Order: sequence, then C-alpha cells, then structure tokens
Amino acid sequence: MKKILLMGHPNVGKSAFFNRLAGANVIESNYPGTTVDYTKGYIRLEDEDIEIIDVPGAFSLEPKDKAEEVAVSMLNENKDALVVCVLDASKIERGLYLALEIIEREYRVVLALNMWDVAEDKNIQIDVTKLEQILGVPVVPTIAISGEGIKELVERIKEARAIEVKEIIERVKLTSTPGVEVRGKE
Amino acid sequence: MKLNVDERWDLIDRIAKRTLTFGKYKHTLKDALGDLTIKPLTGIPIAIAVLYGFWSIFCSFAGTLCTDGFFVKLFDGHFLPYMQRIFSNLPGWLYYILIGNPQADNCFEAFGMLTSGLFVAIGVVLPAVFIFYLMFTLLEDVGYIPRLAVLIDTVLHKIGLHGYAVVPTILALGCNVPAVTATRILETRKQRFMMMTLLAIFIPCGAQLGIMQEVIPTSMGWVLLYLLLGYFIFGFIIHKLLPGKSPEILIDVPPYQMPTFRNVRRKLWLRTSCFLKKAVPFVLVGCAIVNILYLAGVINWLSNLLSPLFVGWFGVPKETVGPLIAAFLRKDLAVAQLSVIEMTKYQMITAVVLISIYFPCIATFAMMLKEGWRELLGSLVVLATVVFVYGGLLHLIWRLLGVA
Repeated sequence: MKKILLMGHPNVGKSAFFNRLAGANVIESNYPGTTVDYTKGYIRLEDEDIEIIDVPGAFSLEPKDKAEEVAVSMLNENKDALVVCVLDASKIERGLYLALEIIEREYRVVLALNMWDVAEDKNIQIDVTKLEQILGVPVVPTIAISGEGIKELVERIKEARAIEVKEIIERVKLTSTPGVEVRGKE
Repeated sequence: MKLNVDERWDLIDRIAKRTLTFGKYKHTLKDALGDLTIKPLTGIPIAIAVLYGFWSIFCSFAGTLCTDGFFVKLFDGHFLPYMQRIFSNLPGWLYYILIGNPQADNCFEAFGMLTSGLFVAIGVVLPAVFIFYLMFTLLEDVGYIPRLAVLIDTVLHKIGLHGYAVVPTILALGCNVPAVTATRILETRKQRFMMMTLLAIFIPCGAQLGIMQEVIPTSMGWVLLYLLLGYFIFGFIIHKLLPGKSPEILIDVPPYQMPTFRNVRRKLWLRTSCFLKKAVPFVLVGCAIVNILYLAGVINWLSNLLSPLFVGWFGVPKETVGPLIAAFLRKDLAVAQLSVIEMTKYQMITAVVLISIYFPCIATFAMMLKEGWRELLGSLVVLATVVFVYGGLLHLIWRLLGVA
C-alpha cells in the first residue's frame, strides 16, 4: 500500500478525521497549477509510515468546481491508493453516491460513518452489519471530533479490498427488506 | 463495471431500504437554538449581540488588558531605555534604523526596527490576533458561522455576493492573507475578484485594529462604520459594472456542536503562528526600509511631490504625508506614527481611514498575485479610485459639518 486518500463531501468532519489519523508532521501544500490547497501527513500502520492525504471535499467524481477537479485528479494519480471514504451518518444516501463511484473504479475502500452521534440524535438507525455485508467493505461508525471509532477504523484498514459493483447488486437482491419498511415521518 | 447516475441512485435506494430505519424525530434543545438563531426576527438581534460581544471582548482583552496593561509598561519602561543604552555607541545612521529617535520615551515615537517594530508586532498585534482567532475559532466550531451566513445572505446578494462571503470578510479582520485564500469558497471569478478587492480595501486587519484602538479609541467605531459603508457602496458599484455571474447557493447548516479543546487549540495555533511568520518579518523589514527611505530623502521628496494632493484634496496636515506614503510598506506602524503629529480629531480620522483603504500589506499582495495578476491589477485600479473618491468625500463631509 502506498497512500491513503481521505475522501468525502465537504463538512462531514473529514479534517477532524485527518487530524486524528495523521501525526505531527502535517504539511499543507498547493496542488500544482491550481489555487486549491490540501494537507498531507503520515500514519503508522504495521510498522510502516504511510502517506495520508486529506483530499479536498467533493460531492461526486463528476467535478463541478476546482476543489472537485483536484479530488478527481488525485484519485486518478494514485491508482493503488486505499480510500477512506467519510460519510455523514445522518445523510448516508448522499455519501453513498460518492462511495459507490469510488468503489466502481475498483479502489480498496473503508467507509467511515462519521457524525454517528448526530444520526443517533435524529433517531436514524443504521444496520452497520448488513451494510457491510451488502457492500463488502469495512464499515465503521465514528465520531471524529471526540475520536470514537477511529482506532477500530485503523485496525480494519487491512481488510479493505477492491469490490466489483456487480457483486453489490447481486447481494442487494439476496438480502430481504426488513420486516418493518421505511417508516414515514408520522 | 460502472453505473450511470440513475442506476447508482437506484442501487443506493435499495441499499438504504435494507439498512436504514428512520425513527420518530424528536425536537431537541439544539434544534430550538438552531431555529432561534436563524429566523430573522430573533436571529438578527442575536447576531448583533454576538458580534457586539465579540467586539467588546476583543477590545478589553487586546487593548486594555494586554497592550495597555502589560506591553506598554514593559516596552516603554524597560525595553526601550535598555535598547537605547546598549546600542548608544552605534553609528548615527544605523542607530536611526535600528533604534530610531534617541529622544523618544515611548515605543510609539521611536520608530526603530528593533523598538517600535518589535513593540507593534508583539505588544499590539499579537494579542489582537490571538484573541480574534480564539473567538472566531470558537464561533466556527460551535457552528454559528453558517447561520450568520444565512442571515446576512439577502444583504450580500444586493452586491452580488452571497452569505458565505461573511467568512472571508470576518477572517480579514484577523489577517487579509488567509482571507484571500478563503475567497475560494465563492463560485465565480467575478465574485472572487469582488471579494478580494473589497476585503483588501475596506476590511482593516487585526494589526490595524489593534493600533487603531491605541491611537483613536473614541472614534474607532465611526471609522469602522465608514469603512463598512464603503464596502457596500463600492461592492454595489463593482457588481453593476462588472460582467459575470453571481449564482445562488444552497447552504447546509450543520447542527450546533460543543467545540473540542483539541481542535480549537490546533486551529488557534496554526492560524496565529501563520500570522506571526508572515506578519512579523514584514513589519520589521518594512520598518527598516522606511527608515532607509527617510534617511535617503526619498520620503521627503515624495511628500513634497504629493503634498498638494494630500493637503488640498484630503485636508490632512503636511506632516502626515510622510507616514501616509510610508504606509504602503508598514500600514500598521504608520497609524502609530500619525499619533504623534499635531492635528485635529477629524484630520486624524481621515488619515486613519486613508491608511485603512490603502494597499494591503506586501504579504496580501503576494497572495493576490497568486490568484492572478489580472485580478491584482483590477484591484489596484479600484483601490486608486476608492482612495481618491472616498478619502475626498470624507474631507467634504468635514467641510459640510464645518470642522475641517
């Protein structure tokens, strides 16, 4: 493994996440030819220092602004990178769009369901085990600002592998919907 | 295999059906607070209260407690006499550059690189910048800034910007350098150009605020009001003159959150140290360059050349021309230099306003150049116009009031 890319929508706590993961040697750099800045640092994994990059926030891989363009080129330049995809757990569908796009490009992905406390406050229940089963990638609930779940996420990085999106479609067909369908707002 | 947009959303829909359940949503205290601070009826008074609180903490901490209560006593009572003593046998010109006026009994009047330069950087500017960034970081981490953005959105739309323009605007009150970077949150080139120009011209940075507080404490509010008015008036004019789009935006307002000590400490450190690295060398080098220019007679020559403009058009005394010219290089110190010149309160206000709308410091210049030289040139044209028109207007106001 050469690099870890930290990706996600803007304002999902990606930078808080990065601050937790990367140690002291954090460097802020400018992406050549643009006005977009990004930060990178190092994380120690199994006695090896691995570069970790806080990729500018992006809603999707079809770029709409400069920051997203940079996010896409960073992804393209690091074909062998592992992607930690940070989602807002209270708005999981939106985040899954980006996550699927990355999975489709056959990157190894770990999903962090960040802001888990906000999802709990909003009374949204997420079946993490089932989500993990369907997607076939490690899924970890986290609260980056207080540090909860970060350790588990780091431990599970090694389980990440590239997935064919076909497999996901197959698995969705196999798993049944829960007994209680989506309850409305009442 | 890659999916198209519809297939992907369809898949997400099916995944969500199998893994998500939405319980009944309970209205929490956070939501109640969120509503109160975002609805105009309650939100605007709260915003005013928050900004006023921000302001008074800034003044009492930076001005009264740190600068007057500690640094002025330290620098004037001990540091300045000490420096004057140990460097007393330096050759005259070097003494003038490093220590400044040998008769000076306070650091506002000495103007040496190692006396006034250090005093301004550490005694005046550092406390101002520190307390500013501490409060800004807290507001940001609590989640108040996006709410402020929503509240002020309508007003900023009138000048072709949108609510998020408050971020670079407020940041610029700390330091223009990160504020120029922050203009990137605006979408179009037009908006970024406008924002950069307006903040470089009309928003005084932490350094200037600190100094203003020392030099014109009673009329500072008026000066800021005048600058704020200029921000909107010239914003409106540029918006009308400049082609380009000002799109609408959708803002995601995050829930309120308890700031964590770790994050606040980290951001505060990053911001303050970045400011120190960029600002302190510029103040010291600026000080030295201006002293050299004085010694070489360049400032005097320029003063004589430009004094008809300054005296006739802006109505300030002839002696201020030197500091006003020097202000291109050391804006904050120039305000301090003005404090020792005899003039009326109104002339002083004009001079301070002129310095505030002048060129930003060299570091800001470099940042703006990085965003594009066309933008920088455009900003300079706007700047020249604003200095001429807005400075002259102030003189006119004084005349109409019969105080000039």
